[in-house]
Amino acid sequence: MGSYLLRRLAHMIPLLVGITFLAFLVIDLAPGDYFSALKMNPSISPDVIAEMQRQFGYGDPLVLRYLKWLWRAVHLDLGVSLAYRVSVTGLIAARAGNTIILALASMLFSWTLAIPIGIVVALRPNSVSDRLLSFVAFFGMSLPNFFLAFLLMFLALRTGWFPIGGSFSINYDSLPLWGRLVDRLHHLCLPMIVLGTGGMASLMRLMRANILEIKQADFVRTARAKGLSERTVVCKHVLRNALNPFITLAGYELGSLLGGAALVEAVMNLQGLGTLMLEAVRSLDVYLVMGSVLMGSVLLLTGNVLADLALTLVDPRIDFTRGRVGA
Amino acid sequence: MRSPLLLAVLVPVLAACQSGSEPTATPVAAKSHRAQRLFQAAISDPKTFNPLLVVDYTSASAISDIFDTLVRINPLTTEAEPALAERWEHTAEGTVYTFHLRHDARWHDGQPFTAADVAFTFDAIFDEHVPNSSKHTLTIDGQRIKTEIVDDYTIRLILPRPFAPLINSLGQAILPKHILGPALENGTFTQQWGINTAPEKIIGTGPYRMTRYVPAQFVEIRRNPDYWMKDGGGHRLPYLDAQTLLIVPNQDTLYLKFISGQIDVISPRPEEVAELRAKAEQLKIAVQEIGLDTGTTFVSFNRNPRHYVQDGKRDPRLSWFTDLHFLRAIAHAIDKQTMIVNCLNGYGKPAVAEISEENQLYHNPNLRDYGYDLDEARRLLQEGGYIDRDGDGIIEDSAGNPVEFSLNTNAGNQVREKMCSILKEDWTKLGMKVNYRPLDFTTIVEKVDHTYDWDAILFALTGTLEPNNGANVYRSSGNLHLWNPNQPEPATPWEAEIDALLEKGSREMDVAKRRQYYWRLQEILSEQLPMIQTVRQTRFMAYATYLKNFRPTVWGMYRPELIRVSED
Repeated sequence: MGSYLLRRLAHMIPLLVGITFLAFLVIDLAPGDYFSALKMNPSISPDVIAEMQRQFGYGDPLVLRYLKWLWRAVHLDLGVSLAYRVSVTGLIAARAGNTIILALASMLFSWTLAIPIGIVVALRPNSVSDRLLSFVAFFGMSLPNFFLAFLLMFLALRTGWFPIGGSFSINYDSLPLWGRLVDRLHHLCLPMIVLGTGGMASLMRLMRANILEIKQADFVRTARAKGLSERTVVCKHVLRNALNPFITLAGYELGSLLGGAALVEAVMNLQGLGTLMLEAVRSLDVYLVMGSVLMGSVLLLTGNVLADLALTLVDPRIDFTRGRVGA
Repeated sequence: MRSPLLLAVLVPVLAACQSGSEPTATPVAAKSHRAQRLFQAAISDPKTFNPLLVVDYTSASAISDIFDTLVRINPLTTEAEPALAERWEHTAEGTVYTFHLRHDARWHDGQPFTAADVAFTFDAIFDEHVPNSSKHTLTIDGQRIKTEIVDDYTIRLILPRPFAPLINSLGQAILPKHILGPALENGTFTQQWGINTAPEKIIGTGPYRMTRYVPAQFVEIRRNPDYWMKDGGGHRLPYLDAQTLLIVPNQDTLYLKFISGQIDVISPRPEEVAELRAKAEQLKIAVQEIGLDTGTTFVSFNRNPRHYVQDGKRDPRLSWFTDLHFLRAIAHAIDKQTMIVNCLNGYGKPAVAEISEENQLYHNPNLRDYGYDLDEARRLLQEGGYIDRDGDGIIEDSAGNPVEFSLNTNAGNQVREKMCSILKEDWTKLGMKVNYRPLDFTTIVEKVDHTYDWDAILFALTGTLEPNNGANVYRSSGNLHLWNPNQPEPATPWEAEIDALLEKGSREMDVAKRRQYYWRLQEILSEQLPMIQTVRQTRFMAYATYLKNFRPTVWGMYRPELIRVSED
C-alpha cells in the first residue's frame, strides 16, 4: 500500500509540471499583459511601466521565466502578485478557507439530498414521485447558477429571510462565538443552495440508474431468495454496491466545485478564491493565476488519489496495488 | 429511512437560517437606530494601501480619507483650497513656490507633521525605483522638483522653469517620513503598506484612520478624533464616526444591496436611473444628476505611417484617414441623438469639445458641432472623390480602392458596443464597408500601443481638471497620442501647433491666458478631427435621504468631512 501511494504521488509531479507549463504558456499567448491596462492611463509614463516590468522580471524569455517560477514554487514561494505586490501564497491563504467551506457545504447539500432522493425514486421507478422529482432535478440542472443566484437574492430582498450576499455581517466581530457560527451559516445558505443545485440532478440520476441496475443483479436475487427482508436487501446489498462510483466522483467533485464557486462568489459577493482568480485572469496577473492553477491541480490530483484509496477500503474487490482491478 | 435522513439534513439548515435572520435586520430596522456611519461600495478589492503606488480607482477611494494632500481642489469651483498647506505663494516668474504648513496637523500615531514629511514625499515620488503616477505629472522637462526645508512648517518647491499646472497637480497624499523613510532608503518602499499590512500601521494625517480590512468583504475606517479641521462652531470634523466600503464585485448585486438599504450610496447605471426615481419616495432616497462625464468618448482613425507605409508601398487608408473630406463626412455621420437615446437611456449630451463642459475653466464653449447630416456627409465624400464607380454599393476613392476599414472597441462595454453598431449602420449608408469587431481590452491596448494594427477605434479617456495632464494624448511625442504616437518630430503643422500650445500653456501663470491656449487646442482638434467626439453621459448619484451635507459632484465629493447621518 505504501509503495502504491508513493508511486501515485510520484506520478503527480510530471502532471503538475505539464499543467503549470501549459497554463504559463496560455497566459503568455493571451494578447497583452498586466501592464497593458496601465499603458492607457495618461498619468503613467512608459518609463514607470518599464521600471515595474524590471521589478517583476519581465523581459526574460518565456521558458526562463517559467523555470524561475517553478524553482521558486518548489521552495513553496509562489511569487508576488503584480497587482497587489504581496505574496501570492498570502493572498490565496487569506481566502482559500472560505471557498473550501463553501465547496464542502454545497457538496454536503447536494449529496445529502441527491442520494436519498435517488434511492427513493429508484425503488419506485416510473412512479409519479419518480417523474416529479426527475422533472425538478432536470429543471435545477438546466437553470444557470448565476441566474439562480439572482433569483434567490431577489427572494432574500423581498422576504428579508437571508442576507443579500456577503460572507458575514458587519457586526460579526461583536457577536458571541455561537452568534458568529450562526451568522456564517446564515450567509452560507443561499450560496450553498446555488452551488449545490447544479450537481444534484446528475447525482440523483446516477444513483437511480445504479440502483436500478444492481437491483437486477444475481446476488440481489440470491439475497431475496434467502428470505432476507426487503430493507436488508436494499441497505446491505444494493446500496453498498451502488455507492462505489460516488467515491470516485467525490475526488473529481472537489476540483470542479472550486471552479464553479468563482461565479457564485462574484455574484453573491463572497470572500473566496473565485473572485480573486477571476480578477487575476482578467488583469493577467500571471503569478496569481499560476498560484491558483497550481492549487487547483494539486487539489484535483490529491482528491483522485484519496478517492482511489477510499475505494480500496470500501470495496475489497478493488486492489490497485496489483495493477489491476479484481473481478 | 428516507424521511429521517432528509429531515436530519434539512432541520439544522432551516434552523440556522431562522435563528440567523436576527443579525441582518430588515432595512427598516437597520435605519431605526442609525449610527453616524456611512456605507459605500466598491467594485473590487483595494490593491494596495500605499498611496504612492495606487493605480486603480478602488484603492484610491479606500485610502483617500486616511491621508491629506498639500492643497485640495474644491470640486464646485474647481479651484485649489488649503489643506495641509495653510497658504502658499510663488515668485513672480513662477519658479519658486513657498508653502506654509499647518502647525496643528498630526500623524495618526501622534507624531507631528512637518516639512520633512513633504520633502520625503517628493523624494519618494521621484525615486527611480518607485513606479508611480505622480512622477510623470510633476516631472518638468525631464527634471524633478527640488525641495528646500525652510523650517519645520515652511517648505519651498524649486522648479526648473515656470510650471502653471503645479498647484492642480499636488493631489498626492503626503507620507510619513518617520514610518516609510527607512524603506525608501533600503529599497523596500514598493513592498510597504500592501493589503496584508495591519490596518493600524497605515499612518496618515487624514480625517479617518484605517481600522479594518477583510478581503473581498469590506474596508472600515474610523474617525480620527485629533483631526485638525473644525466646523464653523469649533467642532472637530469629520462628523461621521466611521465609514465602511463594502466590496461588491457585481453591479446587479450592488443595486440589490442599495435597494435593501445595506449601502447608502450608488452611482446608478443609465438603465437603473428611471427605476430608482420611481421608487425614490418609497425607498427614502434621492436621485441626483451630478453632471456630465468628465472624460471623452471618441472615434479615432489610425494615421500612423509606420503601419500604413511598408516597403515603400503606401496603403490607401492612410490617405483617407488624413483627408478632411473623409473625416468630416464621418463626423457628420455620427448620430449622437440616437446614441443618447439607445445607449444612454436618454441621459447624455452630444460632445463637441474634447475637454468636458464640467471643466469650467478650460472647456471651449465656442465650437460648432458637426451635426448629424448624411446628405452633407455624402456631399463631402463626393467632393473628396469618394464615389461608387462600379455600382457595387461601396464607394471607391479617386484611385479606385473600395473604402473598407475595421472598427474596434473594447468588448464587454455595452454602451460602446451599441455605439459602434450605430456608427457602422450610418457609415454603411454612406457606402463604406465597415468591419466592426469588439476586441478584448488588452488586445486593443496592444494594437494602440505597439503593433499599430488598427483602422478605427471607439475609445474613451478619463478627464482631469488640469489640461496639461492630458499632454500625453495631445503632444505628438506622447505615447497616448493614439492616431500616431511617439513621433520624433510633429508630422503635421497642426500637431506642431498643439505641441507649442502645450508648452506655452504649461508656462503661463495667468489663468485667463492659459485658457486661450487650451481653447485653441480644442479648436484644432475639432477642425482636424484626430479624436472625433461622440456623446457624454450624464452621471447620477443615488443616496439615502438621511445623509445630510451630501454633495456629490463629477469631480468628487464636496467637503466630505461635513457629511453626517440625520438622527430622525
